[in-house]
Amino acid sequence: MSPPLLEIRGLEVAASGKPILRGLDLEIPPGETHAVMGPNGSGKSTLAHVIAGREGYEITAGTIRYRGEDLTEAEPEERARRGVFLAFQYPVEIPGVNNTYFLKAALNEIRKHRGLPELDAVDFLSLMRERVKALDFDADLVKRPVNEGFSGGEKKRNEILQLSVLEPTLAVLDETDSGLDIDALRIVADGVNRMRSPERSFLVITHYQRLLNHIVPDRVHVLQGGRIVDSGGGELALRLEREGYGKPLEPAAV
Amino acid sequence: MPSESGPGRGAEPHYLACAGRMVAGAEETWRRRLVGEFFARGGFPTAADEDWRHSGLDLTKTLYGPFEGALPANGTPPGWTEGFASAARLRNGLVETVSAPAGGGLLEAFGRGGPALSPGATRFGEDGASAESGGNGAGNGTGNGTGNGTGADAEGQLAHPLETLNAALSDCGARLEVPADADCPPVLLHSSRSGEPGAERMLHPRFFVELGAGSRAVVVEAHEGGDGGDSGEADSGWTNPSAFCRIGENAELHYLRLDREPERVAHTGRVTFELGRDARLRCTVFSLGAGRSRTEVRALLQAEGADAELNGLFLGARSAAADHHTLVVHAAPRGSSRQLFKSVLAEEARAVFDGKVVVTPGAVGTDAAQSNRTLLLSRRAETHTRPRLEINADDVKCAHGAAIGRLDEDALFYLRSRGLGAMDSREILIRAFAGEVIERAGAAPVRALAEAELAAMRPRWSDPPA
Repeated sequence: MSPPLLEIRGLEVAASGKPILRGLDLEIPPGETHAVMGPNGSGKSTLAHVIAGREGYEITAGTIRYRGEDLTEAEPEERARRGVFLAFQYPVEIPGVNNTYFLKAALNEIRKHRGLPELDAVDFLSLMRERVKALDFDADLVKRPVNEGFSGGEKKRNEILQLSVLEPTLAVLDETDSGLDIDALRIVADGVNRMRSPERSFLVITHYQRLLNHIVPDRVHVLQGGRIVDSGGGELALRLEREGYGKPLEPAAV
Repeated sequence: MPSESGPGRGAEPHYLACAGRMVAGAEETWRRRLVGEFFARGGFPTAADEDWRHSGLDLTKTLYGPFEGALPANGTPPGWTEGFASAARLRNGLVETVSAPAGGGLLEAFGRGGPALSPGATRFGEDGASAESGGNGAGNGTGNGTGNGTGADAEGQLAHPLETLNAALSDCGARLEVPADADCPPVLLHSSRSGEPGAERMLHPRFFVELGAGSRAVVVEAHEGGDGGDSGEADSGWTNPSAFCRIGENAELHYLRLDREPERVAHTGRVTFELGRDARLRCTVFSLGAGRSRTEVRALLQAEGADAELNGLFLGARSAAADHHTLVVHAAPRGSSRQLFKSVLAEEARAVFDGKVVVTPGAVGTDAAQSNRTLLLSRRAETHTRPRLEINADDVKCAHGAAIGRLDEDALFYLRSRGLGAMDSREILIRAFAGEVIERAGAAPVRALAEAELAAMRPRWSDPPA
């Protein structure tokens, strides 16, 4: 069996002095899609942000290894260039920054890191056209400022568009299903499924089992009280949907 | 002549009386009177004056102190005010020697001290071919009358001590007249110091622009002192220009004002617009100088249906300080005005925005909006903002807003999470912020200058580690 693409060991994370993740272990082999489910406040979004390198979190113990290398000290852009991607739960509106310009700059940073030549405007636009079409994305939206005035569904689709252009090795989807109607959910899920490959892994973070009908995971983990308390196959998600998360295994930290 | 229509009868001279042609010979009395008036009204403004309070500096000492004692009692400009103004056409970003504006018109420059007339005063006939040289005091008496329908209130609003001083000491200037229905190609109005580089001088240029009914023009007013280059000393002193623009009925003026003075030149400038019926103005002010500056933009909407858009951008670093003062007077029904003034402040830069909107009785259906936004890139940078609305009419829409902020951390993380470097991400956000004003400057050369200033600021975008 190949070594895991992502390997998190004993991860403890605090924000403003308050512990959020408390000894989290998680392994995702290459090519697998894992789901992390958990109740509100269990630390799901913190996990996503810490993997992507968001400042403001204090890692007090543990390691995040990606392709065998420790990520915990790397800047967010360094992680992105090495193939880590976070689809935001709340994509940020950036007035005045054109979507296409931004995505081209990002892709070329990543290509540079990989030793590939930068794409010129013509090649990039034809790549964009193809991806936009596959996602049934409104072509006008890519000409607008990043996420500005987008509906909730359009923002989420834009995240998946970026994912499909940047082609990361590890994609973390942070509650990508929230705020999506069933049609949008299907489009987003199709976009993700098309990208699944033996080299690429997904970490799908969600509150609801619904998304996992469309993006079928190889494994499901239950995050509660800052650590993984249960792991299993797809049936675990169905059981959670039926029975709920129940009480935390230990009282939440004060 | 201005010397007849302006002072001398005890009445306040209308500012336009000072806006006429450069005067020669007979102007001695005129100048003396204006200097006397300047001192009689209290001389140089100080921080105790309401309109100057927020500058946070003792302007008298810092800016004008060195000149105060040197002011000529008789109003004659001393030799060391040498400067010259030029007027030129812009084509494809290049300055080109004046030739006839399409449709005829007049473009001329006045000066003393420097090249006698640079690039020369030229008068254009209707065929655009015949040219006649003009000098100081040459004919053409339009534009020095005392206001068309400008109320006494508005005059009071426009009275300005440094305006008076400019009129008294002006030694260079330029004038553009665009005939009715003409489409005037871009014109550059420019002031520079002449004589020895590096010498301390003051400069009081005057510019006058008049657009006939239904005409259109693009005008760039630029003040760029020499920075000394590789060798030699940078200019120092004080530049105090005044510009006046009359926009006729249904005419359209796009006005760009550029201040790129070196650190040791203090800049206090005013540009005043009078808008006729259905006239349209877009004015964009760029304060890109390294020293201290105060730019005042005043728009008088005198007739029904006029539309004014005033924009401003200050890019400040080191100890640069810029004040943007606006005054928009809605003196007629159904006028509209929009103001957008922005500052990007790094290191110890300091900005002041003081924006006043006056709606006079009877100016019903006025639609006025004002916005001031500041991006602070340093904890040591400072900004003051003061919106002022005086509404004396009913059925009026007046909106104003001010926002001061730092770069959005969420947006920075979003960009970085896609692979863009920390500095590049900052640059993208700063450009987006400033870009909203830059893109309103239609003239490509001015946009390019602003972009270049932004790029030059890049090393100053983050505070050094404590």
